[in-house]
Amino acid sequence: MSVSDHDLARYRAQMPLAFRPAPEVRLRRAVLWTGFVLLVAWCLYAFDFSPLRIWNGSERLGRVLGFMFPPKVWTEWDEIADIAKGLGETLSMAFLGTLLGAIFAFPLSFLGAKNINRLPFLRFGVRRGFDMIRALETLILALVFIRAFGLGPLPGVLAIAVGEVGVLAKLYAEAIENTSTKPIEGVVASGGSRVQAIRVGLMPQVWPVLLSITLYNFESNVRSGTILGIVGAGGIGFLLADRIGAYRWDEAWSIIFLIIAMVYIIDWLSAQIRSRFIGTWEGAR
Amino acid sequence: MEQSTLTLSDLSRRFGETKAVDRVTLDIAPGQFVGVIGRSGAGKSTLLRLINRLIDPSAGKVTYGGREITGLRGRALREWRRDCAMIFQQFNLVERLDVLSNVLVGRLADHGFLSSMAMRFSETERAEALRALERLDLLPQALQKAGTLSGGQQQRVAIARALVQRPRIMLADEPIASLDPGNATRVMEALKTINREDGLTVLVNLHTLDTARAYCHRIIAMRAGRVYFDGVPRQLTDDVVRDIYGSEGLQEFSEAVTSTAARIKVSA
Repeated sequence: MSVSDHDLARYRAQMPLAFRPAPEVRLRRAVLWTGFVLLVAWCLYAFDFSPLRIWNGSERLGRVLGFMFPPKVWTEWDEIADIAKGLGETLSMAFLGTLLGAIFAFPLSFLGAKNINRLPFLRFGVRRGFDMIRALETLILALVFIRAFGLGPLPGVLAIAVGEVGVLAKLYAEAIENTSTKPIEGVVASGGSRVQAIRVGLMPQVWPVLLSITLYNFESNVRSGTILGIVGAGGIGFLLADRIGAYRWDEAWSIIFLIIAMVYIIDWLSAQIRSRFIGTWEGAR
Repeated sequence: MEQSTLTLSDLSRRFGETKAVDRVTLDIAPGQFVGVIGRSGAGKSTLLRLINRLIDPSAGKVTYGGREITGLRGRALREWRRDCAMIFQQFNLVERLDVLSNVLVGRLADHGFLSSMAMRFSETERAEALRALERLDLLPQALQKAGTLSGGQQQRVAIARALVQRPRIMLADEPIASLDPGNATRVMEALKTINREDGLTVLVNLHTLDTARAYCHRIIAMRAGRVYFDGVPRQLTDDVVRDIYGSEGLQEFSEAVTSTAARIKVSA
């Protein structure tokens, strides 16, 4: 059924905003868009983004990529063992770092959860503490720990662990806050204490979520663990940086390929485990 | 277990400006099956929670066999809650735990820190929980996750949990409001059986009048936080009902509209 001109005019008069946003809204949009475009333009100018530079750079990039072919296939046992050890080291660093982080984050997360810690001051203090730890990138922590503990996997593990305390404690606390109060009320109404209510009514709700979060972070630590090696904190990244420094591009390419394969396998495995435990739960971030 | 009279004297609870429960005085004799009715917000739910001490009163007191309940703290409070079991409209089970563990929650009040952290229960306790489940026809579901059961089954799990508390009083806050007629009947029958066989005092909030008439020895009606009617079902006439629900404006007030009972109409 078509709308007559008369009806159209009537609705326009009655509800002008249904047809066109108010002037102040239009003005605000124009200002925001202009600001956005100016910011992008300024960034391009400030970083000297000229098509010529990109063109010249990609020529050299092509040469570097060319060096990588054909990738090196190691035949000496010593060399294979070396690379395998590097990969294993990165995996173990991520595993141990995440585990240590989780062990410390778990009790702290209760202090940061609104439904457990009823003292606002303490809770805010603890939460800001998590934020401060998270503001420190793992790479910076690694550089600091390398100064203290020397080169090798130990500073890498510590860097991951400390970084994870901040991230996991925050995510755990949110998981704890995101629980239903009904089972807890049920336990309390049966004569359970507060601690029992948390253990029996709350923990079964959060376990799968905590496990899933932790596995996800393990995955991402395997990825970031390769970077830690580049600054000298052990693992496969160390070997990669070494090969690039020596212009052995064919070996570097092989290592990069192995890293991709390892990360892919870990992602896949952990996704399998997570879906087992949690069904259709959507990840925390 | 020896039973005593539950007494509420001048019991009040306010939330800000609202008087949810306003100077309620009642004696509930041992073994009675009492229904509490009234429109939404009349204070029925608050009244039950005050008895179980999930909420503390603003004034007045609750006593059981002469012992004051309203001042209990810590261990004594937990023991009172165990003795005064409660079931809820939304069942309040731990859905991710299996049915058996949910029933064993009813034994937590007697457990110490370590055994409850490990969720370790004795074989006798397990057997007791299974017996309660058997009574409610839920033995085959004992090892299933509670969240996978239907609403009616979950409510019966909640009753089994209440039973292993070995309570003296059973409070039920709108136990059938989320259930279909068939399940509602099974749950009410279970409460009736417990009342008759175990001699437990049952205090149940209902929003369907015919259910209250069918099961309760005594009906208490609340209006705006106060007890408006207290008597046997027979005394609950149409006029009283109209006053309770504040439906003066309605031409006809039909109990059948609010009913959850399964009823088959036979055409003439």
